[in-house]
Amino acid sequence: MSSDTPTAGAAGHDRHVLEMGESHFAGPDRPSWDLYATCVHCGLCLNHCPTYRALGMEMDSPRGRIYQVLQVDAGRLPIGDSFVTHIDRCLDCRACETACPSGVQYGHIVERARAQIEQHYKRPWPARLVRSIFFRHVLGNPVRVATTARLLRLYQRSGAQRLARASGLLRLLGMSEVEALQPTIDDHFFFDQIGKVFPAEGELRARVALHAGCIASVAFSALNHATIRVLTKNGVEVWVPPGQNCCGALQAHAGFREEARRLARENIAAMLDDRFDAIVTNAAGCGSTLKDYGDLLHEDARHERAEAFAGKVKDVTEFLQHLGLRQPTRTLNLKAAYQDPCHLAHGQRVRSEPRDLLRRIGLKLEEMPNADQCCGSAGSYNVTQNELSMKILDAKMKDIATTSAELIVTANVGCMLQLRAGMKRIGRLTPVKHVVEVLDECY
Amino acid sequence: MSSTTATRNAIASRFEGLLGSACVVSEPASLERYAIEGSVPGAVLLPEDAEQIASALRIAGEERWPVVPFGGGTHQHIGRVAEDADVVLSTERMNTIAAYDPGDLTIALAAGATVAQARAACAQHRQLLPIEAGAGSTIGGAMAVAATGPLQCAFGGIREFCIGVTFVTGDGLPGRGGGRVVKNVAGYDLMKLMIGSHGSLGVITSANFKLFPMPPVTATFLCEFDSAAALFRFRDSLVKSPMSPLCAEVISPAAAEYLKESEPRDPDSWSPNGALAPQTPWLLALRFAASDRVLARLRHDLASFTSQEIRAHDENRFWGAVSQLEKHVLARHPNAMFFQVSLPISESAAMIEAAEASATNFNFVAGVVGRATVGSFTVVFLPLAIDPPAVTQFAGAASDFRSRLSRAASAVVVRCPREAKHHFDIWGSTPTDIELMRKIKRALDPYSILNRGRFFVE
Amino acid sequence: MFSRSIPGKLRKIVGRDAVLDRPADLMLYEYDGSLARGAPQYVVFPQSTEQVSELVKFAAREGLSIVPRGAGTGLSGGSIARNGGIVLAFARMNRILEIDVPNLRATVQPGVVNLELSNALAPHGFYFAPDPSSQKACTIGGNVAENSGGPHTLAYGVTVNHVTGLEVVLPDGRIAQLGGNAGSAAGYDLTGFFVGSEGTLGIATAITVKITRLPESVATLLAIYDNVQNAAESVVALTSAGITPAAIEMLDGWTLRAVEASVHAGYPLDSAAVLLIEVEGLREMVEEHAEAIQALCRKSGAREVRVARDETERQLLWKGRKTAFGAIGRISHSYYVQDGVIPRTRIPETLAKIEEIGRKYSLTIGNIFHAGDGNLHPLILFDSRDADQTQRTLDAGREILEFCISVGGSITGEHGVGMEKQDLMCSLFTDSEREIMLRLRQCFNPNSLLNPEKMLPSPRLCREAVSPGHASLG
Repeated sequence: MSSDTPTAGAAGHDRHVLEMGESHFAGPDRPSWDLYATCVHCGLCLNHCPTYRALGMEMDSPRGRIYQVLQVDAGRLPIGDSFVTHIDRCLDCRACETACPSGVQYGHIVERARAQIEQHYKRPWPARLVRSIFFRHVLGNPVRVATTARLLRLYQRSGAQRLARASGLLRLLGMSEVEALQPTIDDHFFFDQIGKVFPAEGELRARVALHAGCIASVAFSALNHATIRVLTKNGVEVWVPPGQNCCGALQAHAGFREEARRLARENIAAMLDDRFDAIVTNAAGCGSTLKDYGDLLHEDARHERAEAFAGKVKDVTEFLQHLGLRQPTRTLNLKAAYQDPCHLAHGQRVRSEPRDLLRRIGLKLEEMPNADQCCGSAGSYNVTQNELSMKILDAKMKDIATTSAELIVTANVGCMLQLRAGMKRIGRLTPVKHVVEVLDECY
Repeated sequence: MSSTTATRNAIASRFEGLLGSACVVSEPASLERYAIEGSVPGAVLLPEDAEQIASALRIAGEERWPVVPFGGGTHQHIGRVAEDADVVLSTERMNTIAAYDPGDLTIALAAGATVAQARAACAQHRQLLPIEAGAGSTIGGAMAVAATGPLQCAFGGIREFCIGVTFVTGDGLPGRGGGRVVKNVAGYDLMKLMIGSHGSLGVITSANFKLFPMPPVTATFLCEFDSAAALFRFRDSLVKSPMSPLCAEVISPAAAEYLKESEPRDPDSWSPNGALAPQTPWLLALRFAASDRVLARLRHDLASFTSQEIRAHDENRFWGAVSQLEKHVLARHPNAMFFQVSLPISESAAMIEAAEASATNFNFVAGVVGRATVGSFTVVFLPLAIDPPAVTQFAGAASDFRSRLSRAASAVVVRCPREAKHHFDIWGSTPTDIELMRKIKRALDPYSILNRGRFFVE
Repeated sequence: MFSRSIPGKLRKIVGRDAVLDRPADLMLYEYDGSLARGAPQYVVFPQSTEQVSELVKFAAREGLSIVPRGAGTGLSGGSIARNGGIVLAFARMNRILEIDVPNLRATVQPGVVNLELSNALAPHGFYFAPDPSSQKACTIGGNVAENSGGPHTLAYGVTVNHVTGLEVVLPDGRIAQLGGNAGSAAGYDLTGFFVGSEGTLGIATAITVKITRLPESVATLLAIYDNVQNAAESVVALTSAGITPAAIEMLDGWTLRAVEASVHAGYPLDSAAVLLIEVEGLREMVEEHAEAIQALCRKSGAREVRVARDETERQLLWKGRKTAFGAIGRISHSYYVQDGVIPRTRIPETLAKIEEIGRKYSLTIGNIFHAGDGNLHPLILFDSRDADQTQRTLDAGREILEFCISVGGSITGEHGVGMEKQDLMCSLFTDSEREIMLRLRQCFNPNSLLNPEKMLPSPRLCREAVSPGHASLG
């Protein structure tokens, strides 16, 4: 593919001084020198990157992706198929940020690179169409999310799904793996709870706003209800403020940063309020983006409101652990293993809190190897990069298999779906639950 | 090349012209002392520095005269039977401590300095150079043969603490590896190449070492076992425990006989017909450097295995006797055959069984001492007095013993009667690539004059 | 099925998905952890010793050079393809072949990550002792090539002290065994000679290493000083007092302030230097040594000595050290790490000299080092877009190393010579010393197809490098 040929020769060896040519980046959301040049290519991130571990190639490592960004900025590499392939393959799990000694903000670099790709690279038309429908027109619009969910529910309940599975049609279309990952659509969407207030039980200890999420509202309403129950039983008054919308995480990760900014502004308007002690979410992926509104809106005139909002966001595990759990009414005497959601461990540096909560209700925690390595779910990654995602998932299941856990716990719905699919792949029945669901059983 | 008087004179005068007559020994009476397994060299050179060694080697190379590097002469029995040496190159005049920096815990020694001299200098600053070699051994000699002793357990062999070396190649080029600092990766690690090369690649002219603090207090626990198998089972738990002994020396019942002050009993007593074997235990001597508090802990942990704890004078006498073991054996059995055995430690008990079986088959009794946690042993085949082995039985016993060992083990015969060496290869096998070794020998000794015919790869 | 082109033939050996030949991909193999650059013509990912042998034979026939690469974390350009050719990347030869606890050995393929071996050994109560700072990414094959060290090499030695056997592929494709499972083998110690040869002798395809028991107890201390001289004296006092700590690390005042700004490890901002000291072993011994160390440090002028009371405090103290390079990365976009070694008694004057060199070239230089072994890592801050500053940085680095040589030290303690310090080899070794090394290289690698132009400078380079300061070179 000629578009991948670097415009400057790769031959200049023994070169110490970086020669910056004409950048291929332009327009808003450019990855800046200040952002990527903190990388001193030491390579400490390599072995923490799930795609590097799976593929073993520099192009699919954090260091390599940053180097590619630098080369595009220096004019040596075009925004072509090669660059897009490797940037697309990134899970945006940010495990590299945890590993990085230089504090490189990798997530910000890759999200900007994707924003540049959206601006300057023409994907094949089917991909363009699907991405545009999904990121611009469905997500971020509760009505359309609900409509899509109803269609999916129809497929799941009408017998069409059974038919499709039995006929082998899915396998024929290469969709059987992907199909296994879709959530079961709820009977009642959580959208109708928006605007409600749930009073605290007993003494009022705190008042929070719950960010309900979009996919969670159609497929995980039960989890949102459990979150509310656990919070209220621990003395927290829970508001589900009206006007809130999708957090914008999937859009930001995919390079649709303008969409993400629109949603951020809506959420700030709806939920930033002095009455709330915190803005709580039960989805690690949403939390990490909500906490990053400051960067997303750093050019906005009212960008200090974005910072204030970000400062108030707490993952539900983080919030509960810092609040202190009330005495549970029962305890669970089980061996369990906790899988760190990337956007909680790496994106928000929340690691000990969920574990502490689980121990508090009696679980015996066993650490699996590489617990903070991505399971391959990564938002929509398991759909867009299915083959690689399954490779990563298989490695994760091997690590889980080294433990004697009777229960796998995590703190993000995407991870739950992925791990459940993984259990199915290896034919095991070990349940996979959210921290909040487990807590809910004890109150 | 026989050393007739005529050639002797020719050789001597050639070097006198080069080095001055004071540096050349040629009177037959004085040459005796430098005999290699009974054969007297043509001339002995006593160079005063590396430059003189280089020029002497260049001449020897031109003339293709075989050269034997010579330190204290304590290990010249090792190797195949040499061609008669025309020239012995002795380092005895290069015997200085070139530099000693106690604050840096490093020492630089000329090759002819003796191990004892160097250790004594370090001891004055309560520091330790953990090289163990016989009395009179020089630093260069200990390097060449990669001498080891009980301290190998804690400090490893010389390769682990030698930080620099200088030498002269067979064709007279001065070479160097490493330096004077304790951590250094500039250039190839020539220390490793020279250590254990038995003078076949170059004449070592100096070496630098890192030193260790001298342990202020030590104690030795003597642990007794009914069998070698029981001893090595205990060893297996020892290497998994947090204990770090200075020494963990195995002493077999037959070997223990030569540690005593009384006259040792004849090996015949241990032969299958003898009656002594069962009563004498296998000994594991564990030496620790430790304070009273740590010793109390060790005493507690080792209580069920220890028969005796020795300290101070008794302890020194014990380890002194261990270091003199070879000498004591030889005093009584000049014909004894010694193996240096190196193997994966899990094969230790099987190796001892193999040694005992082979020895019995060929009219010997086997004795063993060595480092239980390292897998490095000295095995001695003591000839029976009533029915001494014939020359060919040495070869037979060695081959039989080696055939019972795994491929991972090596058993070099470091000492046996000279006549026996004609019947087998004293070096045995090695896992290391022979072709590469040959290339290296040719690269550093292109005229093949250094210890010609004695080493492995010729 | 496979074309007759070179990539086609390479794919025939290693498989379709194991060869890179597009410029956009090759670009990603032009760097390592150092400042050096050089792109290969092909990158190949072998999966077995036999494939490595076939590849080497093929390269020899085609006259292509071969450069082995582990994780590319090296700091001296060792894995850079200096004149094109094939990079052999070992990412897919990353299996632990055997863990042999009874014999205290493990055998691994070269692509196994250092820390992953230790992780695999931990359930048995063992670990792999060499712990370079890059241990969570670097490979054991790379450790063998560079003879890597790390903070704990003070007590446990460097990589060569832990390798007993190697399977290597020679540049003619022959597979040779060096050493084995036993502690030593008859014949030359080619295992020891091979370790640290920077990929210029052969390609290690299987590595047998010693495994080390995890310590029963560990104590970590932080000694704080108002002047560097006293800290240096403490190092000498400790090493000569009969205590061999597992590690003694030093950070100078400038560096610890930079670290504290990002990590909050509790390093006092007004001090001139801190020592991080660790002792390991039997519980009773560790307690006694920790007390003795406190007394010794105070005696040699420490203002304060802190002892970590639990694992969290211990980790915090180490975090400051381990993230030190990164903390400096937050201050400056680029930095150049040097790797000089000096006798431990020459630390104070060397630090003074480094400060002087920094002033001379108008550069900021921080110092982090393995004080226990006299292994300095001066960090020179610069901006890689500024040609003049980059040149001054390289010059300052060179001058520091020349000073190390002048006090009896060396130009590299653990990073290797690679392509960054080749010319300094001319000052460190004489012509005849280098000739012997060249002869030995030729025994293994006669046509220099393997990692060419690394470590040993060409005689021509040395003639050009002779300056008035190096008049002693013959």
